[in-house]
Amino acid sequence: MEETTSLNQNGGQMGPQTTQTAANNKQNEEPQQKNHYSIPGILHFIQHEWARFELERSQWEVDRAELQARIAFLQGERKGQENLKNDLVRRIKMLEYALKQERAKFHKLKYGTELQQGDMKPPVFDESSDSQLDQDQSYVAVTNSTWKQGRQLLRQYLQEIGYTDRIVDVRSTRVRALLGLNNNNADQEENLNGGPVNGNESNKRVSESQGRRTPAKKSQPNSLTEAMMLDTEAAVIANLSFLSNTDVDMDDDEDMSDDGDLDPNVEMEDEVKQGKKEGEDVDALALEVFNELNRLSETEKKQEIKNVVPPEWDKITSQGPKRALGFGDEDNIDATLGLGELAQLTVNNDAENTYDLASSKESFRKTWNAKYTLRSHFDGVRALAFHPTEPVLITASEDHTLKLWNLQKTVPAKKSASLDVEPLYTFRSHTSPVLSLAISGTGEHCYSGDLDGVISCWNVPNSNIDPYDLFEPDVLNINLCGHSDAVWCLSVLYSKQLLVSSSADGTVKLWSPHSKVQLLNTFSSEQDGIPSSVDFVRDEPNRVVASFASSNCVIFDTETSKPVLRLESTSQDGVNLNAKKIYKIVCHPTLPLTITAHEDRHIRFWDNNSGKMVHSMVAHLDAVTSLAVDPNGLYLLSGSHDCSIRLWHLDNKTCVQEITAHRKKFDESILDVAFHPSRPYIASAGADGLAKVFV
Amino acid sequence: MKMADGTTILRRNRPGTKGKDFCRWPDEPFEEMDSTLAVQQYIQQLIRKDPANIELILRIPENHDEGVWKYEHLRQFCMELNGLAVRLQGECHPETCSQMTATEQWIFLCAAHKTPKECPAIDYTRHTLDGAACLLNSNKYFPSRVSIRESSVSKLGSVCRRVYRIFSHAYFHHRQIFDEFENETFLCKRFTQFVTKYNLMFKDNLIVPILDEDAAPGESEA
Ligand SMILES: [Zn+2]
Ligand SMILES: [Zn+2]
Repeated sequence: MEETTSLNQNGGQMGPQTTQTAANNKQNEEPQQKNHYSIPGILHFIQHEWARFELERSQWEVDRAELQARIAFLQGERKGQENLKNDLVRRIKMLEYALKQERAKFHKLKYGTELQQGDMKPPVFDESSDSQLDQDQSYVAVTNSTWKQGRQLLRQYLQEIGYTDRIVDVRSTRVRALLGLNNNNADQEENLNGGPVNGNESNKRVSESQGRRTPAKKSQPNSLTEAMMLDTEAAVIANLSFLSNTDVDMDDDEDMSDDGDLDPNVEMEDEVKQGKKEGEDVDALALEVFNELNRLSETEKKQEIKNVVPPEWDKITSQGPKRALGFGDEDNIDATLGLGELAQLTVNNDAENTYDLASSKESFRKTWNAKYTLRSHFDGVRALAFHPTEPVLITASEDHTLKLWNLQKTVPAKKSASLDVEPLYTFRSHTSPVLSLAISGTGEHCYSGDLDGVISCWNVPNSNIDPYDLFEPDVLNINLCGHSDAVWCLSVLYSKQLLVSSSADGTVKLWSPHSKVQLLNTFSSEQDGIPSSVDFVRDEPNRVVASFASSNCVIFDTETSKPVLRLESTSQDGVNLNAKKIYKIVCHPTLPLTITAHEDRHIRFWDNNSGKMVHSMVAHLDAVTSLAVDPNGLYLLSGSHDCSIRLWHLDNKTCVQEITAHRKKFDESILDVAFHPSRPYIASAGADGLAKVFV
Repeated sequence: MKMADGTTILRRNRPGTKGKDFCRWPDEPFEEMDSTLAVQQYIQQLIRKDPANIELILRIPENHDEGVWKYEHLRQFCMELNGLAVRLQGECHPETCSQMTATEQWIFLCAAHKTPKECPAIDYTRHTLDGAACLLNSNKYFPSRVSIRESSVSKLGSVCRRVYRIFSHAYFHHRQIFDEFENETFLCKRFTQFVTKYNLMFKDNLIVPILDEDAAPGESEA
């Protein structure tokens, strides 16, 4: 400041004392200095300039921040659009697939034969519209460019679906879903214009989506169908054209934050639904508190209550709106109100990649799609087995438990389109990882073997029990004692109620679990070492076949317990015997054929009569860990540490389908696979703690 | 992973592996674990090595996501609590323990039912563990084991609070079982240090005096 005041005065008047000396010196050294350039003047100028630069700098910084925000915003927008696109593509796929199914159903009803979806030819279809449709379909699949074509296709799809009552449902859900997106956009625009803040938004959506729902009552007359179809179509098209529009000025960043808002709603709704999880616990705790109050009234205790209550009440108060908000979520509506089969299809999206429209070589080939993911184990699932008749399976895990699942008791899918199955019962009695599992031919019992060598026999609880029933100690029937080390494989013979086990103690044992004398026989092969897996020779029920550490297999007679035949691995094919370790051995249900899964990625086939290897093939990219043959003996299912399961034609040993199913834990991935003995289910168990069921 | 001599270590339990050799493979450094289950692998590896080294087991690897770390630890706790539940099944019967209690102060109502029930202690134990398994595996709350939403992390506290009652019931009513189990697993001690370290429970609720010897004064009288 002082410099400022001395701006136009000569240097005689000095600034602050601190600068005085220096300034004096300078003055003395440069006496001829011109008047205009007084020291304070220079200082002032410099300061002035500095302030100006500072200002500019801060302005730049503001600009920079703005630009960065803009970048983030644009990136968000892009991401949002991508999500939207993926979602729409997914929905289109769903529709396509559903349509195909409808078509197949229709065709089957009309002609009584299966429809060959991949190569539909005019000879089969006399309706010209169908063949035309087919062409359209391929056209879209290939180019996907003109919306006009898409419009036509969509109309046909909608018409085809529209012949059933479902149009109403589909229409309502689809329109709502699609318009739901539009609603979002509207909201976002309002947001941009400084409209309502997030809090109001959701409520608004509730009313909006409810509003949309009203016209879509099921009771609407058929005459409206066509109009509705056009309506739907328009809505779909609107969305699609919105997609194609590169110049959208929708604020997708908002969209994302909007998603973020939605999520908790879903979650909260979930919370309400799961009642027992949180909501009830609150009640429970409140009750605890009240009990407490009644019984003890010391101030100390009250203190305690005070401490406990606040966080819990938070939950209670936030509970009310949750219920309401859940309704506004499009996905929820999708799931609950009507896509029906379609809703389930969403689950399949991952696997849908394998659903190859063009490559159906055989008419009867079934393509398996992931339908249920069974999540409840805390560690790798080592084994699984299906009930002989019911849609029920049991899983056995390294977390020391077994769990019972009823695939028809899916948790009412309020929360999302995915099908969640919760376990009905948890079997607890093992005190070490459970490694092996088998279910009896009646489905009444199951047997599980653990790392300590214990085999437990269980009475399988009714598959309709309440998961939170009271404990029934008689679920655990008996333990079969005899093995002194890990029981790695169990197999049952339905017809005779027999069980065979293989253990790391070096023996294979044959059990009759429900008779007085349980242990019938013990088999071992000194020269071959520890057995790794065992199975009954299905076409000769008085024989069992076991694989050993030596990579050889031995067929034993169950009466004499003597080896009958050896299936010898030779090292001719240049592989070290040690690397050919056998993970799993299974026998064909009707043929004298034994199949083995090997560490060296091979599956090998053996003739039970000659003992010779009849076929050998590289089946996976990593060790083959598990095998299952379908009840008719036509297909073989294999699982591998390469994370995939593969389905094979036993006829020609060709791979029919591959599904990537599980993640790795250490170097393990898939640990077991199974066919349902009487229903179209297959399943895989993984080191990632999940089991998956495919339909 | 390749060893120096070129052989590959495959960390697998092949069928036929003896019980004593189960999971007995060379440790894998956490940085080299590339699986999505790396944290679980790492925690289990530490526990297998020395279950008593709680400090090491609970020491979060550098720069690691704390939510995932807490989540995976809690999974491991619930899994190991199965062991305590199995032991309790043999001794804790509805006739003797008709309610879930620890000290006489509290009766815990089982939150697993449509309306909270006064389940017998053994059922409370089972239901709580089953409920925790469902929650911790819920696709909604914990869709990923690599990153965990903040809103879901907040669920962990209530799971901790509920499963802790299993420890306290065992401690106050089945002391022998508790002691045997604890001597083997150090689970209650680890759990107590875990919830204390990450502030997942009120100190007042930690009623099993497990940290007496090394707790700071004032912590133990609860
Ligand atoms: Zn008890
Ligand atoms: Zn209960």
